[in-house]
Amino acid sequence: MRVARVVLGVCGVAFIAVGVWVLGRGAEDPGQVARWVVGPLIVHDAVMAPLTLLVGLVVARLPARRAVRGGLLVAASLTAVACPVLFRPGPLPNPSVLPLSYARNWLLALGLVAATTLVAALAGARARRRDRTGRK
Amino acid sequence: MEGMRYSPRFPVLKSPSFTGRLHDARTATAVGRLLGTALTVCFVTGLVSHVLQHPPAVFANALPSRPAWGYRVTQGLHVASGIAAIPLLLVKLWTVYPRLFVRPPVRSVPHALERLSVAVLVASALFELFSGLFNTAQWYPWPFSFVPVHFAVGWLLFGSLLLHVAVKYPQITAYWRRRSAGTAALPAEDAVDRRALLVATGAAVGAVTLTTAGQSFTPLAGLDLLAPRHPGHGEQGLPVNRTAARAGITAQALRGWRLYVGGPQPYELTLDELRAMPQREVTLPIACVEGWSKSARWTGVCVRDLLDRAGAPEGALVRVTSLQQHGAYRVMIMPHTYARDPLTLLALRLNGEVLSPDHGFPARIIAPNRPGVLQTKWVARMEAL
Repeated sequence: MRVARVVLGVCGVAFIAVGVWVLGRGAEDPGQVARWVVGPLIVHDAVMAPLTLLVGLVVARLPARRAVRGGLLVAASLTAVACPVLFRPGPLPNPSVLPLSYARNWLLALGLVAATTLVAALAGARARRRDRTGRK
Repeated sequence: MEGMRYSPRFPVLKSPSFTGRLHDARTATAVGRLLGTALTVCFVTGLVSHVLQHPPAVFANALPSRPAWGYRVTQGLHVASGIAAIPLLLVKLWTVYPRLFVRPPVRSVPHALERLSVAVLVASALFELFSGLFNTAQWYPWPFSFVPVHFAVGWLLFGSLLLHVAVKYPQITAYWRRRSAGTAALPAEDAVDRRALLVATGAAVGAVTLTTAGQSFTPLAGLDLLAPRHPGHGEQGLPVNRTAARAGITAQALRGWRLYVGGPQPYELTLDELRAMPQREVTLPIACVEGWSKSARWTGVCVRDLLDRAGAPEGALVRVTSLQQHGAYRVMIMPHTYARDPLTLLALRLNGEVLSPDHGFPARIIAPNRPGVLQTKWVARMEAL
């Protein structure tokens, strides 16, 4: 096991070194690359994660917290993936790039998620009620 | 998630306390192994794509032209595994977020190095998924070329992932199973909540996959709601990347078009002469580096027949030059493995019709197992080197 860990760790360091070497060999401005690689980390740790935890504080107090948390997680993931197709600025290179009505599709997907969440919440509440009455 | 944001010169803010549930090692392990799998698939398929598109010298004349669907599958997987990793990464980071505020921030030199490596892991993971996703929509807000930076940071990401697994190995094994020693020591009342979170994470992965995978996996085209491409949209039943107008192809440039084939006995052909040669029909996909792909029926002349007529040696590299004025792929080098594959055509027709200008009229290359940018359109010259 110890050997496997050491091999894994050495490979990891070697791969990181390859990455640094490839970056250094390239013609790209290192300051800009650093800004764009570190930027998402700061946005996530300083903005997105605290906001998510605040939402979590509210959700944890709701009666159907598991279903609501699941619904919010799926909706947030769909929104993250849809960001570039929803908000890409500028003219499109040709009509086969971003050919769909993304705002409509995104709302449709979120509607489905909301409906599924509601069904899951109701089913959960019903199961809990049955549990309670069964125990009496 | 741990960073290196500790600086002894400034007063340290009071660390927040986390009373919420599921910020535990079992949840981190259960989500982390899925994320690790997705990132590994992404890294390996990314390497395949890089080698096929920018082959290192050793492979320059030896890339495999089979399986014909190879690049379609690997690049479809590259983009699908990257998209699937987005919810996994967000849940993983949420789970381990309290570790960012661990006290004391730095215990020892190894601890500082470990936190630094985790900072590299998180930053490179966020950057790779963000830049890759934006690239699929051809949105480039950053002031540098996408390909070299995405490639280099991919090594940083996979390297720091391996290092992270090596460092965390004891914890990973202690929490691997529901019955593992570490898991058993966690509060039992969290188990139901944890299962609900894992089910929701699985649902999120399923949702983002089902709504985007149709751009390459055409049976799912009906569910393709959020992908940047759709197999039903595009001239002659096929999406387009670079149009004739954007490549600088004009009617003027095509007037009196002739194909030049270079070799020991060079010759030229008019379009009519090409059409009079034995035609072959093949079904091959266009598979784009941005992840979309679609299969099509191509009709044209076998590239190897054209090369044989010029007396080109069997093992020669072939240089294909396009009429296009703009773009990095005007000149394309084709290893002999592709040039000699009977499926590789200089195509004149697509899905039964003469190629449209945007698909490369009068003639374009179509080869098996190759990235779309190397399927050169508006071909003017083919030379054995």
